[in-house]
Amino acid sequence: MSDSSSSSTVPAGHPFRRKGRGTDGLFKAFFAGNAGLTVVILVLIIVFLVREGAGFFPAYRGELELYRKAGLEFVDIARKDLTAHEQMSSLLNRAYYAQVNAACRREFQRSQEATQVVGYIDDAVAPPRSALERVTEGAGEEGAPAELLKSLNARYQSLLADALAGRPGKGLPPTPHLSDEERAGLLQELGAREPLSTDEPALVIALQEQLAAKQADASEPLAGFRETINAFASASEDLDNLIYETGESVKATKEAATLHEIEVTKRDTLLAAVPGTKGAEERAQLEADAKAAVTTEPVDYRAALQPVLGRMGEFEAANARLAAALGEVKAALPSDLADEKAQRYLATFRKAEDEYGRELADTMPKMQAWDFEKPVGLGATISGFITGRDWITGGEWQDFYGIVPLFVGSLIIALIALSLAIPLGVGAAIYTNQLAGGRQQRFIKPTIEFLQAIPSVVLGFLGIAVLGTLLQETSMKDSFAWVPGFPIEQRLNMFTAGCLLGLMAIPTIFSLSEDALNNVPSAFAEASDALGASKLQTVFRVVCPAAISGILAAVLLGLGRVIGETMVVLLVAGNRIEIPDFTEGLGVFFQPAHTLTGIIAQELGEVPFGSVHYRALFVVGMVLFFIVLAINWSAQRLLHRFRIGQD
Amino acid sequence: MVSDPPTKAVPAVAIENLRFQYGDKQVLHDISLDIPSREITAFIGPSGCGKSTLLRCINRINDRIPGARVSGGSIRVAGIDISRPDLDLQMLRRRVGMVFQKWNPFPKSIYDNVAYGLRIHGKKSGTEIDERVEHCLRRVALWDDVKDRLKASAFGLSGGQQQRLCIARTIATKPDIILMDEPCSALDPLSTLKVEELLLELKQDYTIIIVTHNLAQASRCSDKTAFFYLGKLIEHGPTGRIFTTPQVQQTEAYVSGAFG
Amino acid sequence: MENPEQLIRKGVHHDGLKEGLVKAFLGSLTWGIVIVALLLFGRICWDGVPVLVKPDFPFIDVAFLTEKTETLHVFDDANAERHSLPASEYYQWVDEHGADAVFNAQTYSYSGGGIAGPIVGTALLTLLSIILALFFGVAAAIYLSEYAKQGRFINLVRLAILNLAGVPSIVFGLFGFAVFVLVAPVFTDVPSDRSLFAIPLGFTWLSFQGWNSSLIAGSATLACMMLPVIITASEESLRAVPQGFREASLALGATRWHTIRKCVLPFAMPGILTSSVLSLARAAGETAPIMFTAAVAAKDDFPWEGVSGPLGVLQSQVQALPYHIYTLAARIPTSEYTQRAQYGSVFVFLLMIFMFSTLSIVLRNRVRSKLKW
Repeated sequence: MSDSSSSSTVPAGHPFRRKGRGTDGLFKAFFAGNAGLTVVILVLIIVFLVREGAGFFPAYRGELELYRKAGLEFVDIARKDLTAHEQMSSLLNRAYYAQVNAACRREFQRSQEATQVVGYIDDAVAPPRSALERVTEGAGEEGAPAELLKSLNARYQSLLADALAGRPGKGLPPTPHLSDEERAGLLQELGAREPLSTDEPALVIALQEQLAAKQADASEPLAGFRETINAFASASEDLDNLIYETGESVKATKEAATLHEIEVTKRDTLLAAVPGTKGAEERAQLEADAKAAVTTEPVDYRAALQPVLGRMGEFEAANARLAAALGEVKAALPSDLADEKAQRYLATFRKAEDEYGRELADTMPKMQAWDFEKPVGLGATISGFITGRDWITGGEWQDFYGIVPLFVGSLIIALIALSLAIPLGVGAAIYTNQLAGGRQQRFIKPTIEFLQAIPSVVLGFLGIAVLGTLLQETSMKDSFAWVPGFPIEQRLNMFTAGCLLGLMAIPTIFSLSEDALNNVPSAFAEASDALGASKLQTVFRVVCPAAISGILAAVLLGLGRVIGETMVVLLVAGNRIEIPDFTEGLGVFFQPAHTLTGIIAQELGEVPFGSVHYRALFVVGMVLFFIVLAINWSAQRLLHRFRIGQD
Repeated sequence: MVSDPPTKAVPAVAIENLRFQYGDKQVLHDISLDIPSREITAFIGPSGCGKSTLLRCINRINDRIPGARVSGGSIRVAGIDISRPDLDLQMLRRRVGMVFQKWNPFPKSIYDNVAYGLRIHGKKSGTEIDERVEHCLRRVALWDDVKDRLKASAFGLSGGQQQRLCIARTIATKPDIILMDEPCSALDPLSTLKVEELLLELKQDYTIIIVTHNLAQASRCSDKTAFFYLGKLIEHGPTGRIFTTPQVQQTEAYVSGAFG
Repeated sequence: MENPEQLIRKGVHHDGLKEGLVKAFLGSLTWGIVIVALLLFGRICWDGVPVLVKPDFPFIDVAFLTEKTETLHVFDDANAERHSLPASEYYQWVDEHGADAVFNAQTYSYSGGGIAGPIVGTALLTLLSIILALFFGVAAAIYLSEYAKQGRFINLVRLAILNLAGVPSIVFGLFGFAVFVLVAPVFTDVPSDRSLFAIPLGFTWLSFQGWNSSLIAGSATLACMMLPVIITASEESLRAVPQGFREASLALGATRWHTIRKCVLPFAMPGILTSSVLSLARAAGETAPIMFTAAVAAKDDFPWEGVSGPLGVLQSQVQALPYHIYTLAARIPTSEYTQRAQYGSVFVFLLMIFMFSTLSIVLRNRVRSKLKW
């Protein structure tokens, strides 16, 4: 009946004949348009990410080209040695101080405890004391009003009494290494102190002296080591000066080039406006402005580089001095140190020696082969972005956009989160769906659903306010010292972020896995039971394998959620843009990091619109978008296969 | 109730005054019935008469259903009361296999489906399992069809083949009794015929209890027939007698097709 | 049967033992999660309730909910008594006692006063975004469930919905910033330099120069984010209406649209509204999409103050609770004086979200039990 393509039509005047055009088509078009909106949004997301991001690579390439032409790259080759040398001498210094401090740990603790007590009292009485200070200072000839002084003094005394009794805050700090008499004497002296006096109590001074004496004692046998270190450290002086001077020179070149470019752009804009003008007068004015806009000459890079390249000999000498210092230090270093920590630093130094030596040897050939006119290819720019180990922005030297530190941060955090969330989420789903009674189910499921409803920013806040501090304080405890990475240096680190993200991923993984288990036809379990399988055999050999693709999809969707999550990592991950130091072993998880999502949230608000940095953030967004898209797509594929398997 | 005296000394299954209820609803009323070994017993009756429920009591698979419980009487399998607290339920189900109305192979390969029962009962040796799988598949006349694709998913088989696979899976653990809950109701006539042939063949080694709606099937394959109506056992005896000279009027009405 | 005594279990029940162990292990995992969740709620309530609840009538600190956010000034007076006052009261106090009377002054941004601004902002943002998302989402769902036939277009739409649902919220933020803030079309007499392109309409220009960071840009971004959820849920509700209703109506000679309006939508509406409450809670909780499109950390006026007409409200920036919490957590150090603002905001925020979530769960259960066909 609806086949309107047939040749016979309804005769005119017949009641079945359609009158006019129906509005139904219009409605349909309207609804279809709205459905198409989703496609439009998705396309717009891609188009705008690509549009803003596409400009990044050419612009970044331009920056890198300038970096090379102006000679900054040249200086950076030499600078790498300087940085490496600094790291090496810092290792030695750390070994030295570890050794010295190990000898006077007790004196150090005693001194610190006494100082803490003084600090506690000082904090408690700070308000009236500083008020008194200001009143007496500003008083002039006639002196401060007696009434005011009296009330402030009274206030001081009452606060002091409170503090001596340990009432405010967490109470008086403990002093396990001070004797009772020492503590009592210290408190008495503090109690008797004039309100305005800031003199250190006798005990504190004495303890400091003891510490200094002990330190001197301890460092005496290490004097040779100290000298070796100093000699090694001072070997970089020449290179340091050289880099500073040439650095200033190339920086000036770069600035001049940038200025010139800005002026040229301005002129071109003005000239472009010329054809649109109406009067001859206006046109002349514009042209004059355009001419005046360019005040600088284009930079002659070759000439500007001449003085820098001319110092190649000096670079060579400085390099040789570093190499010589390395040779000397190798011979002069003590074979081992008594303290365990010091020994570890020394061993690290030993391990790095050869690598450092090779690097030194490589530098000169590299510098000689360096050519400022070699163009920077687009491929090199792109690979520089993908494999770049630095994300440095807003510096006056040179901006680098390398995605590796961000990517590694995101990845490690996701790893921590998933290694928590997968066993917990899937385990809880199996328990709730297969083993728990109805009453337990009715309590567990809503609670975990509520967990899903907590906004990420609230979790992030809790991470800062509660979890970070809690973890750090726990890690300080001596009984946990065996855990790698403990004690934690940074309160906000990847582990804290990973824990919170794990908490966020648990509900996702839990409810999707639970669905998958629920969808396994009960006939499977029944057949297994009828064959005489035990409950566990049925659950782990029939039900779970049947739901496995659903569970995998749940895990993948959880991963997508973890990678794409912003607020928690922004607040809690510590936001240090650096590739974590993998030499720390498992302790790497307790280092701060930055993430793909966090960098966008943190920097987009501050960058100038249209700049290279702005575009770089859109490229990061693009990378993120496609990663998450790929994850979700594989999850959907898994689910699809799962559905087919069921039929 | 009219029934013939028991033919053998120890029946495979002895049901005495069994009462059963789902929640508050009583579905089986004082059923007493002896099922002889190495014979096919058919349970017939209209829908909802409790015949499937009774079948599912015999291997206690009804325990899976919340609220379902035996409220009186007993079932003895080989003389052992299956409601005893120290009963090894898994052993009972291993000795009393079950085939369901809708074929339900596991989402595994054909081989793994048959091997499942052996594996969960602790058989590890590969060759032993291989032999047993082949034997069972041959027994259900499936071997020639699937021997080249043992690792393929069981879902790739036709309905009748899947049902026969389920029977193979059941006999793999060497049960003594096989319960069949309308095994052919979802099969086409040709597949049904094959399953019926299989039943007659299996009778030599197994005690078979089959629930069926299909009166012709009951008369074709079974040795004994029990007729249920509204949760009561109405009549029980050799199949020939039940179908030719029923002694209760309701049975006669049912087997002659007056209702059901 | 041979050896029937096999059926009787002898000795220890090994399977039972194993089952008990596994069950205990998985159970402790599960209850571990539940306990962590309860600890979280407990901690927030422990610190948040004292902010919001007072011992005397009306038992709730109304001022915290109705006052604007201000800078908190902490100082000692001449008697070394500590005061902590929000900016407005602080300046009053200084006027009365003179600047000399202030000692040890410290300031804590955003920590004084109340959180009326963020509450209002979040309410406006979510309300507007849910209206937008419901309008477009339900229309799309009607197409998908009532009109569409299998085909390329429908596959494309389904693919887009699936993929949109997985896009990270920060990418929605980027998208909203690039599209709504920078290039969305506006009517203006003077197109800005930044405009992507401008179409002259005679009396005015249609210029693609964006809506700036504003209530409407933020709501539109949030709406885009909620769209896939709303469409999926609405389609489910529409499909749950029995096919018979439609056929009966069509058989009586009603047009398709009439059928949808009278015989499908009314029955699907409860389900649609229920799911939209849940997405409302989600939208209210999102921070990343509004960071660059709508939210400001500090604002002295409510959105409707100092603007002309309802359009002005749409164009103004707003404070939002999640962004406020972000600011409080990230930009100011924790101290005893900032705790009130921090935990108070978090507590109020969480209370709001949970009210929405509970409401949607209750509604869902009611709808499910009532509408059975």
